[in-house]
Amino acid sequence: MTTQDESLDAFRARARAWLAEAEPPEAPLDLDARFTVLRQWQKTLFEAGWLGIAWSEEAGGQGLTHMHQLVFVEELVRARAPQPIGIIGLEVVGPSIDRYGTDWQRRELLPRLLSGDDIWCQGFSEPNAGSDLASLRTRAVVDGDDFVVSGQKVWTSWAHMAQWCALLVRTDTSVRKQAGISYLLVDMTSPGITARPIEQMTGDREFCEVFFDDVRVDRRNLLGGLNEGWPIATHTLGTERAGATLRRRVECEVALDDAVAQLRRHRADGPSGSPEADRRTRAAIGRCHVALRVLDAQTRQTTTRLVAGAGPRPEDSVDKLLLNEIEQIVFSEIADLLGPLRAVPGSRPRGLRSERWVHEHLFSRAASIYGGTSQIQRNIIAERLLGLPRG
Amino acid sequence: MADSDQDTAQYAAAVDEYLTRTYEGDRRRELLNSEGWDPEFAAELADMGWYALAVPESQGGLGAPLSALGPVFMQLGRHLVVGPLLEDILLPAMLRRPGDWVSAPAIAAAVGTGVPLALVDPGVTDDWADDFGSVTLNGQQLFGTVNAVRFARQASLLVVVADTGTGSAVCLVDPAEPGVRIEDVDSADPTIEFARVVFDGVRADGVAPAGPADGELVIRIRSWARLLIACELSGVAQRSLERTVEHVGQREQFGRPIGSFQAVKHMAADMHTRWAALHNLCLATLADADRAPVADLELLAATAKAHAAETAVRVCEDAIQLHGGMGFTTESDMSWYYKHALALRGWYGEETELQLRIGAALLERGSADHTADIDDSARDGGDHPTDRA
Ligand SMILES: Cc1cc2nc3c(=O)[nH]c(=O)nc-3n(C[C@H](O)[C@H](O)[C@H](O)COP(=O)(O)OP(=O)(O)OC[C@H]3O[C@@H](n4cnc5c(N)ncnc54)[C@H](O)[C@@H]3O)c2cc1C
Repeated sequence: MTTQDESLDAFRARARAWLAEAEPPEAPLDLDARFTVLRQWQKTLFEAGWLGIAWSEEAGGQGLTHMHQLVFVEELVRARAPQPIGIIGLEVVGPSIDRYGTDWQRRELLPRLLSGDDIWCQGFSEPNAGSDLASLRTRAVVDGDDFVVSGQKVWTSWAHMAQWCALLVRTDTSVRKQAGISYLLVDMTSPGITARPIEQMTGDREFCEVFFDDVRVDRRNLLGGLNEGWPIATHTLGTERAGATLRRRVECEVALDDAVAQLRRHRADGPSGSPEADRRTRAAIGRCHVALRVLDAQTRQTTTRLVAGAGPRPEDSVDKLLLNEIEQIVFSEIADLLGPLRAVPGSRPRGLRSERWVHEHLFSRAASIYGGTSQIQRNIIAERLLGLPRG
Repeated sequence: MADSDQDTAQYAAAVDEYLTRTYEGDRRRELLNSEGWDPEFAAELADMGWYALAVPESQGGLGAPLSALGPVFMQLGRHLVVGPLLEDILLPAMLRRPGDWVSAPAIAAAVGTGVPLALVDPGVTDDWADDFGSVTLNGQQLFGTVNAVRFARQASLLVVVADTGTGSAVCLVDPAEPGVRIEDVDSADPTIEFARVVFDGVRADGVAPAGPADGELVIRIRSWARLLIACELSGVAQRSLERTVEHVGQREQFGRPIGSFQAVKHMAADMHTRWAALHNLCLATLADADRAPVADLELLAATAKAHAAETAVRVCEDAIQLHGGMGFTTESDMSWYYKHALALRGWYGEETELQLRIGAALLERGSADHTADIDDSARDGGDHPTDRA
């Protein structure tokens, strides 16, 4: 065993011990209550030194490796502790600011991002720019020391509760679409911003449409150079995919463990139903286990790449596609075990808590849409990995 | 263990190089048309030392760990190699017994000259057990029938898994022994010959009496068979993918390569993703398997095989589809790979059978690895809505 392994083991032990003491909160079902509770939880995690694990110390991070970060995610999820509320800042936007930001931006923005004092959202998608993100139209024109922003974003998660937004804007319309995009860091309390929540099929009002009406943004809030936003956006999306893959894998594993525990307790309490019913339960659990082993094996490669500091690669699309499929297999197999009682919240078919599994199942349908749809991943795999001709 | 990883990669590279040079093309086609058995070819592989790879050095082998066989089986699958590969490569490495063992010469001959061993195991399937057959060990006598045994007709030794009433035992039987009947049956797998094996009061030779350790040996043999078949299927899927990507890049319709059509691209991307996931699953399983306790090994191998059974067949089906009419012919290699995949799919469990076993194991003993140390009874009742992605 190398020193590196030992220190990871020690780190894991420390994380586990801390989590056992910390009494992590349950995430309330109500969105507003959830926001408050999980923001407080973020503060607790931050103060104990568990956030920004792989970030530089000047940015308020811990200066450790991605492996440490992964270990903590595993321990957090396995302890049935919720994620902190500022996950978009922590997993998606923050790493890009840490990498491309000015000293001022990193010093001013990142510590508050980590502590949860500032919640961030990601203003990329627009009504007419989803998969074809580079065609985005929200405009920013330079006016003295400011940019003036106008346009509309959509599907912006947590925008109505966020203090800051990582915003992609068009700053040049005369060039190739990717070459005219800039990346702004926008204070959501600026005059002219309206965020309207949209209800999702899970019942949550978590994402919004956001309107920018001549919003003034100080030039020092430009991340990277003018018209150089696209490569940074690619970095952000790559980080988002990698982070989500690693975290969701553990979350799915824990979900299956919970489902198995509920089914087992029910069997222990009474007869396990007809042989056909029992066979169906076994087959579903077996299928989920196989799928999660596949994901585990696949993400061992991702982890190796991530730890080696590799940037986004076409191989990430294989991970993303696989994660989406497997997440959907796992939650639909479990939810299918509810039978007709999936429509009856509060019921406990075969011991399964129907509300939770219905929520998880519905949410899993978004997996193949956000962060680049499965079709877009297939395009990338076919063209960049297999070298098939562009259509 | 960087050294042994390197060795492993070298074995597989040597196998790939040799097969590319001497086997691909006409020779393979000839062997596929002769039902998978050719003593000369088997002797040639024996000469190359392929059957000795995981045999201990003390018995004249190369002493590689069993996991080193995984990448080799990937290449064997990728080149669609015929013959009793599982039997001659795996069994000699697993059947290690003291020196005065009666059956030792037959095993040595398998390794040295390629005369096959046959594995007579009713445990190839759960859901078709009634149709497949059974063997019991009664006192020292074997009774029963197994309706499909690979290369039993050619074998110099039958390795038999028998039900003892309280467990299973591994018995070794000389096929010339009175009471052994071997009957020809047809094969729909071009790489394999099958026979039916009947025991009518046959004296089982030379094996340790049935005991707990024997039961463990049975599980180990079956688990490694599952894992190596999964690797072979990964190789089958890999070549089907490779040939398809080549094909769709070249074949033109509507004035352009069919690989530029998005419907085709997406199928190719799915094929790639499926193969890559299977490949990575096999590698991860191999990395864990050598040192795994027997119960873990059983779960690991069943998982790999369940996934391989489903995935490889799907990749082959997409390969046929993307080859068009040509894919449906025996002229194209795709149909041969597909038939082999279909045969291997059910050998030691297709996906549904194995998922049932895996599910049962988890529901009996609880979660595999993830949270054994967490008292989930306290917390699993909670709801954990997932907050965005
Ligand atoms: C839960 C959730 C949270 C989200 N959070 C955020 C957020 O915080 N910030 C943010 O910026 N965005 C967010 N999004 C938006 C997300 O990134 C987009 O929904 C996604 O990129 C798809 O864009 P679209 O919705 O416009 O669909 P479209 O691009 O219109 O796609 C519709 C369908 O057409 C297919 N399609 C499109 N183009 C092609 C093509 N070239 N080839 C083949 N098929 C194609 C797609 O695969 C899809 O099936 C979120 C989405 C969801 C579901």
